[in-house]
Amino acid sequence: MNITTIGVIGSGTMGAGIAQLSAQQGFQVVLYDLNQEILTQSLTIIFKRLDRLVEKQKISDVSCTAMKESIRTTTVIADLNECQVIIEAAPEKIEIKRDIFKQLEEHCSPETIFATNTSSLSVTEIGSHVESPSRVAGMHFFNPAPLMPLVELVKGIQTSQETIDILKELATSLHKSPVICEDTPGFIVNRVARPYYNEALRVMKDQIASVEQVDNIMKKAGKFKMGPFELQDLIGIDVNFATTKTVHGSFFNESRFRPHYYQERMVQSGRLGRKAKGGFYSYES
Amino acid sequence: MSLNLMILGDNHLSEVLTDKFSEIEDVQVIDSTSPLESNIDVVIETTNLDIEKKKQQLQSVERHVSASTLILTTVLGVTATEAASWLETQERLVGFATFSNLDDIDLIEITPALQTKAASVDHAKEVFARIDKETEEVEDGVGLVFPRILAMIVNESAFALAEGTASAKDIDIAMKQGTNYPLGPLEWAEKIGIDDVYAILVGLNRDLGEERYRPAPLLKKLVLAGWTGETAGQGFYSFQNRGEKEKVR
Repeated sequence: MNITTIGVIGSGTMGAGIAQLSAQQGFQVVLYDLNQEILTQSLTIIFKRLDRLVEKQKISDVSCTAMKESIRTTTVIADLNECQVIIEAAPEKIEIKRDIFKQLEEHCSPETIFATNTSSLSVTEIGSHVESPSRVAGMHFFNPAPLMPLVELVKGIQTSQETIDILKELATSLHKSPVICEDTPGFIVNRVARPYYNEALRVMKDQIASVEQVDNIMKKAGKFKMGPFELQDLIGIDVNFATTKTVHGSFFNESRFRPHYYQERMVQSGRLGRKAKGGFYSYES
Repeated sequence: MSLNLMILGDNHLSEVLTDKFSEIEDVQVIDSTSPLESNIDVVIETTNLDIEKKKQQLQSVERHVSASTLILTTVLGVTATEAASWLETQERLVGFATFSNLDDIDLIEITPALQTKAASVDHAKEVFARIDKETEEVEDGVGLVFPRILAMIVNESAFALAEGTASAKDIDIAMKQGTNYPLGPLEWAEKIGIDDVYAILVGLNRDLGEERYRPAPLLKKLVLAGWTGETAGQGFYSFQNRGEKEKVR
């Protein structure tokens, strides 16, 4: 499949990041959102970031202009009909995603690939609401999408190998490293990373070591770039807790994934991490 | 100050520790097969999986050294308190937790048993400072901090691999590039020894009695088969490719 135009649904942090990334790699982009104001804001943010790349001499003035021109915004979903691949980055609610894909099916050719950037919902379930689920797959980017190299390609039960192959090629041309995984709770990263936080919380609350000690040990003995508590502060303790709860629930409460009560206490206290000026650490200055 | 050191345990960590301490002036590494009446200052014992063997080894060495000899023992599979309980003179035991890839590790965790006296902990810090390792003193618990957390990450990766969620290579790539891990969990486990990872999980499961520490069945099979990673020449990657003629690497 010759992919020239990528549709992006939702112009939040992830959608805007994916649109920017696609434009940077020479694709035409149609960025869709329900709200024109949000689209305008997102476009301003993308343009600022591209301008900064010119300042840093990462890209030329000419290519910056071309990138800006390659992004079109729309509030009309039918405008996505010229895209070969559509990446959906709408809010993580199954009803929203279901309605989007149903509408897309009416407007797009039967060959169009529907990718969802979901990090917590089942790709199989999203696909089940579409007439031809073989063309639906997960394409999970990591935040910030223009910078993080990984993309998880998620194969729902009904996803065809051809769909995965096309998305793999696309991810490679976006200069990302694609990995392929089955449609399992948390896919690879959000699942395998759970113990980094859960076990650290247990070690800390069982008084084996303090927050500072755990972070120091993981960095000096394990060469992790950030300790589990610093990282939770960066991600947002509420965001991390939500992921833990989702993975735990999706594995039908398997005890390995059980959240620690203290994670909930932190969320209840409003100490959510850096964005709230403090979490496990204080960020006053 | 000169130091007479004896290292016990037939695993990779023992070999690496022997090499490291042998390079240091003033440190005599005494062969564990030589007669034990020599004046031994410190014993380092490193058995992890076979707890009965660990107990026998500690008890038998205690009979031959003086009551003031410091005993350092790994706590990947037991608590320091349990290991100390096997001894006559319990206040000289200090637990430590690390893996055999010592060149990549700047810090070693140490822990006193409930019975340990403070001077023994200070002595343990001095011993590891000889091989340029910083120490962090934490409370006693199976696997302490880094080995415990890493073992749980490897366990989850082993479950994911055995369930066919993704290939070993893709699991490793995902964790390095999606969340900045210094190594992929499966390649990491192969480097430090899948047997040590398994020993921690068995120890946590036994000591805490919680289902969440249940080792992935694949880990147990790899240990039983002797496919414990780099030193054995086989591990997760060869398991995954056992049906194919060519290995991934």
